[in-house]
Amino acid sequence: MKNDLSHGIRTLAYIFLIAFAFITLMPLAWMLSSSFKLQGEIMLHPMRLPLEPTIRNYMEAWRIGNMGRAFTNSVLYSGIGTFATVYLAVAAAFALMKFGYKNSKVFFSIFTMGLLITVNSVIAPLFFMETRIGLYNTGAGVVIPYIAFGLPMAVLLACSYVKGIPDTLIEAAVIDGANYLQIFFRIIVIVATPVVATITILTFLRNWNEFILVFILTSGDHMRSLPVSINSFAGRLNQDYGMQLAALVIGTLPMILFYLFAHEAVIRGFGEGALKE
Amino acid sequence: MLESRHKKFSYYALLLPALILFLFVIVFPIGMSGVLSLTRWKNYQMQGFVGLANYGKILTDASFLKALGNNGQIVLISVFGQIPLGILLAYVLFRKFVKGVKFFEMMIFLPITISSVVVALLWNRIFSPVGVYTALVRSISGNPDYVMRISESPYFAMIPILFVLLWMHTSLYMVMFLANMQRIPKSSLEAARIDGAKEGTILIKIVLPALANVIFTSSIFAISGSLKSFDLIFAMTGGGPVDYTNVMSIYLYKHTFTYNNYGYGSAVSLIIVALSVGLISFGRGIYGHFQKKFD
Repeated sequence: MKNDLSHGIRTLAYIFLIAFAFITLMPLAWMLSSSFKLQGEIMLHPMRLPLEPTIRNYMEAWRIGNMGRAFTNSVLYSGIGTFATVYLAVAAAFALMKFGYKNSKVFFSIFTMGLLITVNSVIAPLFFMETRIGLYNTGAGVVIPYIAFGLPMAVLLACSYVKGIPDTLIEAAVIDGANYLQIFFRIIVIVATPVVATITILTFLRNWNEFILVFILTSGDHMRSLPVSINSFAGRLNQDYGMQLAALVIGTLPMILFYLFAHEAVIRGFGEGALKE
Repeated sequence: MLESRHKKFSYYALLLPALILFLFVIVFPIGMSGVLSLTRWKNYQMQGFVGLANYGKILTDASFLKALGNNGQIVLISVFGQIPLGILLAYVLFRKFVKGVKFFEMMIFLPITISSVVVALLWNRIFSPVGVYTALVRSISGNPDYVMRISESPYFAMIPILFVLLWMHTSLYMVMFLANMQRIPKSSLEAARIDGAKEGTILIKIVLPALANVIFTSSIFAISGSLKSFDLIFAMTGGGPVDYTNVMSIYLYKHTFTYNNYGYGSAVSLIIVALSVGLISFGRGIYGHFQKKFD
């Protein structure tokens, strides 16, 4: 197939892709390179690689920005939120797809309607509720909305996978005397591993980069996640570019490292997400 | 009988936790917004019901209309920038015009992992007088005093933001379209090629029609997604200078949490929901897409 391609098309394709990849990566490379420079060097030679690379920016950003705490919070919020979303979504998908009850269709469409609702549109009443019932500025007050907003997409993905699990598998287990909860924990959860992986990746990424919920529903540095703490700390650093960029690298690095190892799964996950919509 | 009672119990044990959480966090607050949107607030206290006055005020507020217009610009860049570019990238990768398809895909998709806040602050730095963009323009144009002024223009202040949105989200469409292109039966492509069809013909006659549904759906989602954009613009400009880069979600945020007018803010949020639901139902009505996927 490739042999028939004209030279021109192939050259154009290369130029297009290389240019696009360059524009995509250049800002990130610049961020990384500048984060190792001190203020003076950034101002004098914005385009050059650091002559005397230093990690001082990183140490100061980590300390002054209290980023260790924000990092821990991010891991906890995203981790717990993702785990709960995945569990609840697969459980709901099993119930909706394999029990054959008539009201399943209604519940399913309630979940899909959630795809249309954004965090922004409920953030005011959510804030209102959480301050009234004492969830404001607590870990639970962040994680519960994380779980709920992860559900629509997760339920949709889980449903379309669980639907494809053969009924005979479940019927055989019923005949063997297993009850439905045993079937869920011993069979469905195992068989659904691929979709569990996809949902975990998509949900975790979304939670990790989430901004507005933590921004509105918490106050004080000790509850902030990385994006929120970076916004308030690094956003103010209009005079210390090196430290600001170091803070940005700290916020970016964990996910980029994860991506470098798991990019195939991430790309597949987003592709699948698109197929299901 | 026992089996069926147990089955019913299991059903709700599996379903209810997710459903209750969902109703409590998403559905109930929307209803609450509906009630709040009819009230007026002052100093954190509700002053009473004012009917639809909030809606009237919002829809005649020049600042809201400015924000709506800026959201419109974001819609345009999504539908006429991100989606066509995404299709083109996906097509080039799909037809394997280049070596190292996987490598390019991985590199171009990398920004998906980065939070909007980081992207915003990074590009602010790049566009700033000591940023690499400014340095680049200075060395190309030979003007050592160049600084970017467009973000202060009342008419074009959105352009840097639109560019960053393009930078950030195009690859998402690339991945979505590529996944769908890979489902096109190989045989139809082979047949076209044997018939001597040109690449352009294959793209227009085979690939695009096969993707029509997806392109349509993603346009609808891009439009409703554009109505939501908050993080990036909030971190990049906060809607300023003045309200040049304001969008509806920032307008909502300011009225709710800066001026503490929960009633007014709730009305704005319902307008956003209505626009989003309206646009999506419009698309849904045409294609009946969701039902088809479910059956």
